[in-house]
This record gives sequence, structure tokens and C-alpha cells, in this order.
Amino acid sequence: MAVEAMKPPPVATPDPNLSMGIQLMALERRERLVHGLKIALVWIVLILILGLFLLSLDFDPNYMFQHIQFVLAGAGLTIGISVVSILIAAVLALLGALGRLSTNSIAQGISGFYVSLIRGTPLLIQIFIIYLGLPQIGNQFRIHGYIGLANLFTLTAIQSGILALSINYGAYMTEIFRAGIQSISHGQREAAEAMGMTHGQTLRKVILPQAIRIIIPDIGNQFIAMQKDSSLVSFMGVWEITYRANRLARVDSKFMEMFLLAALMYWVLTIVSSWLESRLEKNLARAYER
Amino acid sequence: MSGKEVICVENLHKWFGMLHVLKGITFAVHEREVLVIIGRSGSGKSTLLRCINFLETPSSGKITISGDSVTCSPGRSIKREDVLKLRLSTGMVFQEFNLFPHMTVLENVIEALVTVKKYPKSKAIPIGEKYLNKVGLIEKRDIHPIRLSGGQKQRVAIARALAMEPKVMLFDEPTSALDPELIGEVLDVMKKLAFEGTTMAVVTHEMGFANDVADRIIYVDQGEIIEDGTPEQIFSNPRDERTRIFLEPIRSVQHV
Repeated sequence: MAVEAMKPPPVATPDPNLSMGIQLMALERRERLVHGLKIALVWIVLILILGLFLLSLDFDPNYMFQHIQFVLAGAGLTIGISVVSILIAAVLALLGALGRLSTNSIAQGISGFYVSLIRGTPLLIQIFIIYLGLPQIGNQFRIHGYIGLANLFTLTAIQSGILALSINYGAYMTEIFRAGIQSISHGQREAAEAMGMTHGQTLRKVILPQAIRIIIPDIGNQFIAMQKDSSLVSFMGVWEITYRANRLARVDSKFMEMFLLAALMYWVLTIVSSWLESRLEKNLARAYER
Repeated sequence: MSGKEVICVENLHKWFGMLHVLKGITFAVHEREVLVIIGRSGSGKSTLLRCINFLETPSSGKITISGDSVTCSPGRSIKREDVLKLRLSTGMVFQEFNLFPHMTVLENVIEALVTVKKYPKSKAIPIGEKYLNKVGLIEKRDIHPIRLSGGQKQRVAIARALAMEPKVMLFDEPTSALDPELIGEVLDVMKKLAFEGTTMAVVTHEMGFANDVADRIIYVDQGEIIEDGTPEQIFSNPRDERTRIFLEPIRSVQHV
């Protein structure tokens, strides 16, 4: 793509400096536009290369298109599980962060233990422990006649998935919340406390509203990661995107078609969520614009 | 000094690790009095002010503000509600303003009225507007602090402290973070408050202000009060050699 230097329009203006400014602005805008177009072109070329490569093998795009609906039907579950889990995880993370920052030795101990244990073990193992391991405890309770407790320890696949994702991401996000809270200048807390606010009031009214704005991009990042990690619940036979794709792939031996389709859906989901996140970020930044 | 004591500090010590920052400070601020605390950086004057409302917990000593006392000594735990009483009797203005950036100017001023004093908004807003008027910034009530100049920010911070209607105002180097051309507007507000009879304790490097407004000046050096007197005594006839050395360059520049 040829980038020609734009010729200055031969317009006579009373202020020669003004026309120079306009000219520079136009040049700059043009440069930005060309840069953006080039990047878009690179994307298109890469997608074309990938597509041609796939078509040269025995790839069956029609099979993909025919089963979009079947796989897409799982998107609701994927989104639902992710949204509920990120909300619970945020609550856990807030509690975890407060524990880590607390002067209370018990709170500090509990939250440190939680983060260490959960971050140190694989998510898939956690899912299996909750889904397959906990019912063993439930059975013991059932034998001794505690039916209510027994049911509490026997979770459905979806419940187990949400619980595992929440606990797991809660541990990672504890560190994000802690860093966010610590990033608010000490003067903010002092100003609030000098006016007689308690620790809790200071946290709710002054620290958290500012900290959350700062960590929104990180939470968005975690949400994107979680949408993809939610594919692990397919191991328990939850009919979300991955499970549906996997099922068809195995029936008709169309692995590339179905997993590529699933991958595309996750990709679109994450693009939408990062767009939503940036909108939210801009909204929250409004008070900070001059 | 006439009038009853609003602040009474007795034998105040503060340690930071092995650093003995305040070495047995005793002084009082009386009703309607303006006390200015001067001293070199690192002399302990800011720490002294911050101990009064327990932003720093004193290592030992007794702080009394209009009848409410808190006594500190190593190993003794302090009741939160006692500290809260002291804080409600004091209003603090910081060097770095510390306005809440996520709230508008008016929200900044009424926040503590609503959360701490539990006033309904309908009662808090007129109070907030009254004090914004006092600092001359009522027209900025609905904008966020980022759009204010440094001097305006500090005036809002003063209004925010005043809105709680404290017994005494504490100023911790209120003009030290300001560009020179913005210092005047903040000092003018403080002068107005002093003229109206507000009890104030001010840590500052503004010797002109100290000379014009202070009823009493204390000079702090290495954690001790080594001079305590009227501006006249301090500026023209300091008792201690250290005060003379500290003030000499300032006197020649500011012609006080």
C-alpha cells in the first residue's frame, strides 16, 4: 500500500502559521488511518492463510455451519456460569483482600492459607474434588441420618462448576483487590479517618470506589480467562459450548471443524466482554476527566 | 492566655522505631487562639499535629480536647470511641489536600456529615453550601476536584473540615504543595477564619502569615519546644540561639 505524502493545498490564508497547523493535523490523522488499515489488512491476510490451509486439508466447512446452532445453544450456559462465578469470586476476593490487609492475625492467617492452597492446586482437580470428592463426605452424613448436610455436600455438575470457578478465581483476584486497595494513597484514608469515619466507612465510601475503578481492567481480564476456563466443566457433562462441540466431534470424527467452531465462539465471547469492559472503564473514568 | 483550653497536650512522646521524634511535648491551645508551629523539616512539628487527632498514635502522653482525654503509654490499648471523640472535635487540613477524587466538590464537603453524623442529605447540603460559600467556591459545587486548581482544592478541603463544625482546626503545612501564585488565596481564607475567632493550630513555613495572624508561636527543634511566645517575642527577640539561626535568613528575605 503506497503512502503518498499529502500535498499541501495551495490555499492562501491570512495566517500562514494557521494553515501549517491544519496541514500537520491532516497529515497526522491520515497517518493514523493508514496505520489502522494496515493492521486490519494483516489480520485479513492471516485469516485467509489459515482458511486456505484448512481447506487444502480434508476440512469440511459445511459441517461447521450446519452445527453452529447446536454448539451455540451452549453459549448461554457458558456465559451464565462465568457471570455468576465472577460475581461470587469478586466477593471472595474482597473478603480475601481485607483479610490479607487486616491487622487481625486470624483473618490474615485464613486468607493467606486460602490463597496459597487454591493457587497451588489445578482448577481441574478442584472441580473433581468438589463434584466427585465431596459426595463421599455427604454419604457419611447420610449414613448417620443428617440428610440436609448430606445434600449440601452433593452438588450438581453446574453447582460444582460454579463453586470451583468462584473459589479458584477468588484466590487470584484476592491479590488484585489487595493491590488495588493498597494503590489508593494513604492520604485518602487519613482524610476520611480525621473526619471521624470508621475503618468500614472509609473502605466503603472512599477506598473501594477508587480501587474498583483501578482494578476494573484486571477484573475484565480475569473474566475473559474464566470464560475459557469454564470449558473445564464439560468434564462433568455440563452441556456448554465445549461439551457440545466435543460430542459432535467424536460422533462424526470432525475434530478440527467442531473444536475450531468452539474456539471461534469463545473468541467472539471474549471480544464482546473486553468491549463491555472498556465501556465500563470509560464510564468510571468520567469523574477524572479535566 | 485568656479563654479555656481547647487542646491540651501533656508530656507527649513519639517513637518511630529507634527514632525519638517527640521528646515530652507539653502545650495548650486556648479558645479563639491561633497557634502557629514552626520548625525545620524533620523537627517533628507535623508529627506533633498528627498526634493530636491520632493519625499518629502517641507513644506516651495525654491529649485532651475540650474535656475529652486519651492517655497513651506503651502496651496500653486505646479505645476506638475515645479517638473518635477527639477526631470529631478537630478538623484537619492536609498539605496534599486529600480531596476524594470520585466525589464532586459538594459531595466531598457533606460526606462525613452524612456517614459520620448521620445527617439526612436535606440537612447536610445547606451546611455544605454554607461553608463552600465561606471559602468562595459555591459555583464549583458540582464539579470533580480534578478540575480545580491547587488553591481551590485546598479551599474545598478547608470547607470540608469546617463543615463538621469542629472545636479546633488543624492545618498541616496547608500551602506547602501549592504554586507560589496560589498560596495567597488559601492564606486569605485562613486569615478570615482566624479573624472570625476560629481556634486554630497551624504548622507552616509561611512566616508572614505567622507574624500577621498568630496569637502565639511555638518553635519546635529536634522534638522539643524550645520557644513559645507571641510573634513579636519570637521574631524580634528569640530567647534561644537555634531560633535565631532558623529565623535569620527568613527575616532578611520576608522583612518581617
